[in-house]
Amino acid sequence: MTRARRKQRSEFGTALALVGLLIGAALAIVLLGGSSDRSSAEPSLPPSPRSALAPKNVALGPDPVAYWAPVRARASVRVSPTQSQVVGEVQRRTPEGTTNLVLVLGNAQRVGRTLWVEVRFPGVPDDGRGWVPRSVLGGYTPVRTRLIVDRARLTATLLRGRRRVFRARVGVGTPSTPTPGGHFYVRNQLHRYRSPFYGPIAFGTSGRSSEVSDWPAGGFVGIHGTNRPDLIPGRVSYGCIRMANADILRLARLMPVGTPLTVR
Amino acid sequence: MASELTLEAVDQDGAIAEVLDELTGGTRADFLGKAVVGGSALTAALAAPAAAKQRNTANDIAILRFDLGLEYLQADMYSEAERLGRLKPRTLDWARVVGANERAHVKAIRGLLGRDAIKSPKFNFRGVTEDDAVFTETAVAFEDLTAALLKTQATQVDSRGILAALVSLHSVEARHAAWIRHIAGIVPAADAIDEPTSKAKVVRLVRSTKFVTSTPRTKARRKPRYTG
Repeated sequence: MTRARRKQRSEFGTALALVGLLIGAALAIVLLGGSSDRSSAEPSLPPSPRSALAPKNVALGPDPVAYWAPVRARASVRVSPTQSQVVGEVQRRTPEGTTNLVLVLGNAQRVGRTLWVEVRFPGVPDDGRGWVPRSVLGGYTPVRTRLIVDRARLTATLLRGRRRVFRARVGVGTPSTPTPGGHFYVRNQLHRYRSPFYGPIAFGTSGRSSEVSDWPAGGFVGIHGTNRPDLIPGRVSYGCIRMANADILRLARLMPVGTPLTVR
Repeated sequence: MASELTLEAVDQDGAIAEVLDELTGGTRADFLGKAVVGGSALTAALAAPAAAKQRNTANDIAILRFDLGLEYLQADMYSEAERLGRLKPRTLDWARVVGANERAHVKAIRGLLGRDAIKSPKFNFRGVTEDDAVFTETAVAFEDLTAALLKTQATQVDSRGILAALVSLHSVEARHAAWIRHIAGIVPAADAIDEPTSKAKVVRLVRSTKFVTSTPRTKARRKPRYTG
């Protein structure tokens, strides 16, 4: 009985050892096979962990047409960062008492410890530009709109990106007091005043009439409504761009301050 | 493999489910029964913070609002740098990727706060976005501090759901910090243990930059004096 049990145990042990050997061999084959595959494959990294909140990055919006910046301190405008020749001056306030703005044109240059930026500034003829220290400007605000006034066709067209979002017939300057042509920008918006002549809303621009410079606030060109819609379209103004009151109200909903203005 | 992992398996203490409950108004059991990590159902639930029903405590609202302000600042700074494109290519790549992350963080925290979210202040980056060296230095400071602040806040929040959200943000901010440190030539992980930082220290840093500014007054109730 005891011998039989011993024999049984011995046989069981042998069988167990054999099974163990088989498993070991199988594992070795798998592992060796796996390692040879791995050595030939590209090294791979584990995937990044998933976010527990909004899992998707937020892409940057469409490119702006331009940036504007408020003027924080009065400054001379230079012809270039390295030349001291002055081409103008920027004030902190507009004649209407709002914060003065410049259009940031995208070029910057560090000279010594001062960072200079190229800007379009008010009161100069077509496409007047110059350089001011970055330190005199406030934060940049991007704008996606652009207003184009066509003096031949007597139209104003607002683009957002490349899409036309507004178009209206306008009145422009008479031949003796023409609306100046060139590149300007919208620098303020006035409203709730008592003057039917200007309609319900008036935008101030950086453009200045060369013919009426003795005007009370320096002859800056505005875009505004009118109490004489019967004169639109036409060449009827002292240089301002006039449009029907319904149109200026619609424009005010679409056009932010800082919008670049092209008069052609 | 990812499709076989249930939310229950990876969220044993229920923190993620709790934030999902807060975000969607559902019950934890619903999510445990249905959600599969990596599956479209969970992804959709995670991506829907905007419709959140909020039950945040005043303490959690204050913490999230502070974080939102900081995220607004970082998102705006990196977005402006990307748009202006005046940084070196390596730094610009960082700003592009991290900017997309920070804008997502803004969206996520706004979703958590719902109606309690604050509006973005106006920023003036004072040329930092136009100068590679200054930008890199500033970004290192902000990313280091943000990661350290989130660690501090993790011990202060009331809701485990908000805690889960902060931890999710924290690890990404730590990656940003390591990456920008590498670009700046600073050892990304110099010490074995990170120290948390206080809200006061972050406030001091933000104030020292003078980035937060007032909104310019561009509209007025005044009679025009244009040429007419």
